[in-house]
Amino acid sequence: MDNIRVQGITQVDPKTLGILWTDGKKSALDVVMLRRKCPCAACIDEWSHEPRLKPEDVKDTVRPVKIESVGLYALTIHFNDGHRTGIYTFKYLRDLGPLA
Amino acid sequence: MGIMEFRNRIAERLSSKVVPQQAVSLDEKTVLDALRVVQDPDLHKDIVTLGFVRNIKISAEAHSPEAGHKVSHEAGHKVSHEAGHQVSLEVNLTTPACPVKEQLKAQCEAALMALPGVTSTKVTMTASTRGSLPLNSGSPVAASLGQVKNIIAVASGKGGVGKSTTAVNLAWSLAKSGSKVGLLDADIYGPSIPLMTHLKDGATASGSLIEPPKVDGVKIISVGMFGQSGKATIMRGPMAAGVIKQFLSQVAWGELDYLIIDYPPGTGDIQLTISQTAPVTGAVIVTTPQEVALIDVRKAISMFETLKVPVLGVVETMSHFICDGCDKKHFIFREGGGARVAREHGVAFLGEIPMDQGLVEASDHGKPYVASHPKSPVAAAFAKVAGAVASQVSILHAENKNVLQHFSIEWAN
Ligand SMILES: Nc1ncnc2c1ncn2[C@@H]1O[C@H](COP(=O)(O)OP(=O)(O)OP(=O)(O)O)[C@@H](O)[C@H]1O
Ligand SMILES: [Mg+2]
Ligand SMILES: [Zn+2]
Repeated sequence: MDNIRVQGITQVDPKTLGILWTDGKKSALDVVMLRRKCPCAACIDEWSHEPRLKPEDVKDTVRPVKIESVGLYALTIHFNDGHRTGIYTFKYLRDLGPLA
Repeated sequence: MGIMEFRNRIAERLSSKVVPQQAVSLDEKTVLDALRVVQDPDLHKDIVTLGFVRNIKISAEAHSPEAGHKVSHEAGHKVSHEAGHQVSLEVNLTTPACPVKEQLKAQCEAALMALPGVTSTKVTMTASTRGSLPLNSGSPVAASLGQVKNIIAVASGKGGVGKSTTAVNLAWSLAKSGSKVGLLDADIYGPSIPLMTHLKDGATASGSLIEPPKVDGVKIISVGMFGQSGKATIMRGPMAAGVIKQFLSQVAWGELDYLIIDYPPGTGDIQLTISQTAPVTGAVIVTTPQEVALIDVRKAISMFETLKVPVLGVVETMSHFICDGCDKKHFIFREGGGARVAREHGVAFLGEIPMDQGLVEASDHGKPYVASHPKSPVAAAFAKVAGAVASQVSILHAENKNVLQHFSIEWAN
């Protein structure tokens, strides 16, 4: 289904974001992984879709400061390294980690 | 659901039950259980879970009139020698414009007839349109829009794509299916609805509000009826915004299932003002199949996303024309452009309207085409679009029940 949306968002532990989807499934996403997979134009080349950001560019200590919804289909994360340009669509997030 | 799949489900259900054929204990629960095979294809749940089934009545049917029991009212009903039961009930859908109403009715009847002991059925399809606008009592539009269930924006990124034609025929098609409909012409730069609908009556005062005139049961107000309409085209920013706000807050719309707003073309300030003043339930984006128009569809979709107005889907107009000579569809532009942009943005494709000179004439003569040519392919296309729009609105309400709409969480470190 394309129109899966979010029922609940929680901080599971200091480095895990929990998402409860409208179909009852759950994702538990590592925040450092989320920073490394940032989909913004600075982190991923718009044309080649090759990552511009190298995993080692992101420290393991990176954490979110704030997480906010964007429109009806996405969220954005303000990280404590100052990066805040990534718009993570729910579809993208759903494919980022295993579902429980 | 395919008919075969449906038959199999009934068969499965019957065989899984160890009910001896004679021992008939027919109660409400049995009836409800039987109806669980009937799914609403849009909401992906069965009609019992959705709470659509009401007023179940089970009455004994007499084998012969002198038995003194209630006799089936159905003329020509075959009176069997075994006593049977008539099950009558109501299925209350989420919109009278439900495109699969007849299909659901047939499935209910089949599911009931498959129950042992049932000899006739009476399934009545009704509908109460779901929806209510998120207005608090202090809102400036509370008096005007308080009893409106849904507001549907008909918008486009580009002018002249058939937006007003779509708005009018969508309104008429929804009204024809039994919905209470209003049509608001917000095109401050070129209000065209009064001409297209042959609107002769002006608005009348009703207390501090203005009563909209009706044409064929559709309540209509045009920004052209307000103030110096001739000068509308030279109205600038703040003045135009003032007029928009005024007429959104001053019309006595009363009870409506759907209020259709015909937007001015484009994605500028005036479109923002309308969307911020009226709590729009969802937007329908109209486009033609050309590439230039499709680029502007993207602009329109992202405008509504920024405004947090859900996009119900895309309608493609002037898609193809049906040739008098051969009845085939001829595509002037590349086929399927509207469907493609819809897919790219994860929104529904609501349908396509053929190119038809009759639509141009209809607008000029002030009679909506679906009213003057109810049996035409164009009317069928609009009916399909209306059904799809109504379905999307129902889906939205069903989904929103447990959707986290807007959130902001601080991370604890
Ligand atoms: N399916 C169609 N087949 C043929 N002509 C059509 C069709 N739909 C609309 N038209 C014609 O195209 C012209 C533009 O349509 P319409 O006024 O509905 O567009 P619009 O998007 O509201 O324009 P504007 O941006 O000026 O408000 C009109 O002359 C109309 O009669
Ligand atoms: Mg128009
Ligand atoms: Zn980034």
